[in-house]
Amino acid sequence: MGIKMNYIPKLRLITIVLSIFIIQYTYAADDQCLSCHQGLDDKPSKLFIEDVHYKAGLSCSSCHGGNSNSDDMDLAMSKSNGFIGVPVSNSISEMCSKCHSDFDYMKKYNSNIHTNQFVKLKESVHGKLAVNGKGMMLQCITCHNAHGIKKANDPKSPVYPTNVPQTCNKCHGNATFMQSYNPAISVDQLTKYRTSVHGVLNSKGNIKVAECASCHGSHDIFSAKDVRSKVYKLNIPGTCSNCHSDKNYMKDFDIPTDQFAKYQNSVHGKAVFEKQDLSAPVCNDCHGNHGATPPGIESISKVCGSCHALNAELFSASPHKKAFDEKKYPECETCHGNHEILIAKDQLLGVDKGAICLKCHSENENQKGYLIAKEMKKLTDSLIVSDSIAKNMVFQAEQKGMDVEELKYKLREIHQARLEGRTIVHSFDEAKFKEVTTKGFKTSDTIITEAKAAVDEFYFRRYGLGVAVAVITFLIVMLFLYIKKIEKPKSL
Amino acid sequence: MEKKLKQIYEWVDNRVQLADLVKFMSKKYVPVHSRSIWYYFGGVSLFFFIIQVVTGILLLFYYKGSSDLAYESIRFTMSKVQFGWLIRSIHSWSANLFILSVFIHMFSVYFEKSYRNPREMTWVTGVIMFVLSLAFGFSGYLLPWNELAYFATKVGTDIVGAVPVVGDPLKYFLRGGDDVTGATLSRFFGFHVALFPGIFTFLLIVHLLLVQRQGMSEPMHLKNTAKEEKKTMPFFPNFMLRDLLLWLVVLNILAILAVFFPAELGLKADPLASAPAGIQPEWYFLFMFQTLKFLPAHVFFVEGEVLGVLLFGLAGVLWLLVPVWDRKSAKGQQNRLINYIGIFSVMFIIILTIIGWVLK
Amino acid sequence: MDKTEINKAEKNDRRSFLKILLSGGLAGFAAITIYPILSFLNPPKQTEVEVNSVVVGKVDDIKPGDSKIFRFGNKPVIIIRIDENNFRALSATCTHLDCTVQYKKDEKIIWCACHNGKYDLYGKNVSGPPPRPLDKFNVAIKNDELIVSKEA
Repeated sequence: MGIKMNYIPKLRLITIVLSIFIIQYTYAADDQCLSCHQGLDDKPSKLFIEDVHYKAGLSCSSCHGGNSNSDDMDLAMSKSNGFIGVPVSNSISEMCSKCHSDFDYMKKYNSNIHTNQFVKLKESVHGKLAVNGKGMMLQCITCHNAHGIKKANDPKSPVYPTNVPQTCNKCHGNATFMQSYNPAISVDQLTKYRTSVHGVLNSKGNIKVAECASCHGSHDIFSAKDVRSKVYKLNIPGTCSNCHSDKNYMKDFDIPTDQFAKYQNSVHGKAVFEKQDLSAPVCNDCHGNHGATPPGIESISKVCGSCHALNAELFSASPHKKAFDEKKYPECETCHGNHEILIAKDQLLGVDKGAICLKCHSENENQKGYLIAKEMKKLTDSLIVSDSIAKNMVFQAEQKGMDVEELKYKLREIHQARLEGRTIVHSFDEAKFKEVTTKGFKTSDTIITEAKAAVDEFYFRRYGLGVAVAVITFLIVMLFLYIKKIEKPKSL
Repeated sequence: MEKKLKQIYEWVDNRVQLADLVKFMSKKYVPVHSRSIWYYFGGVSLFFFIIQVVTGILLLFYYKGSSDLAYESIRFTMSKVQFGWLIRSIHSWSANLFILSVFIHMFSVYFEKSYRNPREMTWVTGVIMFVLSLAFGFSGYLLPWNELAYFATKVGTDIVGAVPVVGDPLKYFLRGGDDVTGATLSRFFGFHVALFPGIFTFLLIVHLLLVQRQGMSEPMHLKNTAKEEKKTMPFFPNFMLRDLLLWLVVLNILAILAVFFPAELGLKADPLASAPAGIQPEWYFLFMFQTLKFLPAHVFFVEGEVLGVLLFGLAGVLWLLVPVWDRKSAKGQQNRLINYIGIFSVMFIIILTIIGWVLK
Repeated sequence: MDKTEINKAEKNDRRSFLKILLSGGLAGFAAITIYPILSFLNPPKQTEVEVNSVVVGKVDDIKPGDSKIFRFGNKPVIIIRIDENNFRALSATCTHLDCTVQYKKDEKIIWCACHNGKYDLYGKNVSGPPPRPLDKFNVAIKNDELIVSKEA
């Protein structure tokens, strides 16, 4: 089950103690249904004596109705005694829930037991109408069995962790059956699961590793497209981290538990959690879901490349591909890391402190790459400078109230050159890189020239005003003097 | 050179008798007294009107009056056409200052009671021109087809719709349809550049001819002063040169304002967008706008807005007909009531404009 | 010469000097008013205004299967002639990081060079990092001219 199993010993103790009382009580009463059916040697009665409910003192009549004390068959199974025969479709689950939804009743047996299974099941994807239209797709007995019901922690239970994959597969591995509900759904989950680390350990009897219910839930299973689902894209990191971030739980396994914390910090994690960007990868996009396995060293660029296609393509054609494979460097991960992939900063490139290239290249060692990295970084840096100068000039012109719409449009081209540069850098080819940056430089030159012209135009307006005001003022003064003159008293 | 000029003058003089005109004007005298300053605002208003005509015609060279093109054509004028920014800024500033100076001119005439016999016609043409100026402002405001203009026009025409009986058809007529659309723009464009200028020019000619025929009105308190004691100055050239001097000063101010506070264009009108906060009409409509806002929703079974519009309409008619009902001033008696009404109007306009401005 | 005559001459001198200055002022005034007006009337280099709908060109300027990127306001728009009769116009700004996209004839997709984002010819993002589809524009053909306008 999905729940963690570390409380099992305690539970087991309680069960044993309880069982002692219950068994004594059960054997004291004489169940006529059972004794008769045992005589018939039918399957239900054989299974029922193994059933947890039998051990808890329930009789056949608890579910089937009738009078279990009467040894008269007609009387015992008469309608007047409430006999209902074999419950069908929803009445099965309703029968179970009569007790299992009653908290006070269930408390008598186990105070830890949940009582909301039926509610959850009704809400879940399995709670929808079956193709026959009569009731829910699943009833309790579909997974828990009808007469030989065991506790979930009993290795014989169909919902015991190592049995869950097979139980679910009864339906989910049946192509014809699944077809009737969702023709697009795949039916190879179990096959894939058995290739995964989880599946392999599970088949070896490890009950800690994830099985179907660990990720999909048990009673409250929703479609992966449903936002309530534990495997809805945005919920996946949380679901995986339930176990993988739990140091205590993971102590048997020799792997780190900080993936989630790192992922949250990564560019992908931020896209998922802060921007709710459904196109950003979560755990299963790189590790697979049913066949969850860390990607192999040589396949990393393929995995990353399923989104970052161009970068992967350029990388695979670059001289680094061969060198990395020889040295067993994990491709993209070598420079970008895995769970904590940060936004690729320009500082990754070059030969300054903190640059990735320095890991392998230095002035003495692998000198060619060192020189190329140095040159590329130089180009990148000056493109950044040109970009900010251009932006600044445009800003200045805009501040002065000039119309810079057109220049802003052109600024896009520098932006594009910078972004393209970050991609083309994966070719590790100086000439190709230069081609891209040159585009940016050319645009920034024109923008700077035009923005300067706009600023000049602003000053032209101010100086022009100065001239105009001077001329008009001069004329005013002259006119004033002239009026003075003509109004001067004629007699001198 | 001087000889040549003289020859040309004589050539023209022979044909249109310029000398007579000069004689007429130089024989005309303008009274000089402590309140002479108010005589100049008519001239200043005229100057602004001339500037509006000149810059308006210039803007017409590039303006395209359709909802698709209006905004873009003005953006084009301001960014691509040499001095386009200047012409538009001057047009916009001059429009505002024109209305301000018309206000001052009108109130000075009112307080001096210069509308009294025999200048009733001058007053009536003047008041109609004042209303036309406001209409000029209102129609011109929409022409850039930007967000502010769009919503201001919407609100403005809605207020027109509040007038009982004729309101709705009038609103429909102004908008050229149910809503403010490209059709409204075409209409307002027509009003702004053809209809209003035509009527205005006619009224202006009548107004100016009347002023020239009748001369400047003398303040009432000079009535009893002996003719010899009254100071005057010739209209030509003395008064006219002073007028010119003031015009130049005004032009200087206008240029500085236009360069330092250029007219803005804002965002293009988007009929689907929600109205931006603090939508307001131009300042000269603010006092009316604010009054309508302050009126309660209902006053004695009448909608507040309707009442407001009716009151402003009534006030306008009374204002137009001052020369008719002010019998005392016509007889040369003092009429304090006129002063009180005038002071009340000025205070009302100033205070509500300020409130409207502050409450933005 | 007697005193009054000297005075008169002086006065005349001064008056004519003032007249010269006044004419100079008037000439300057004429210059500063006429110059902006004449410059204003001089048609600018770019003679058409930018509008809400853009005339991209003649229908035959774009061959079937070709595309063209043009300026629409301050943003680029791509128009693709899908076949003889069908045109489609989409915003050319990649929804990922604002690069300008291009049409890839061989793959029949719209492609962004920056991070290999791909869109189908309806503008829907089909692969790579773009988070949402490209904005659509209307295409109309009037008198053999292609007119692209904003979708209402």
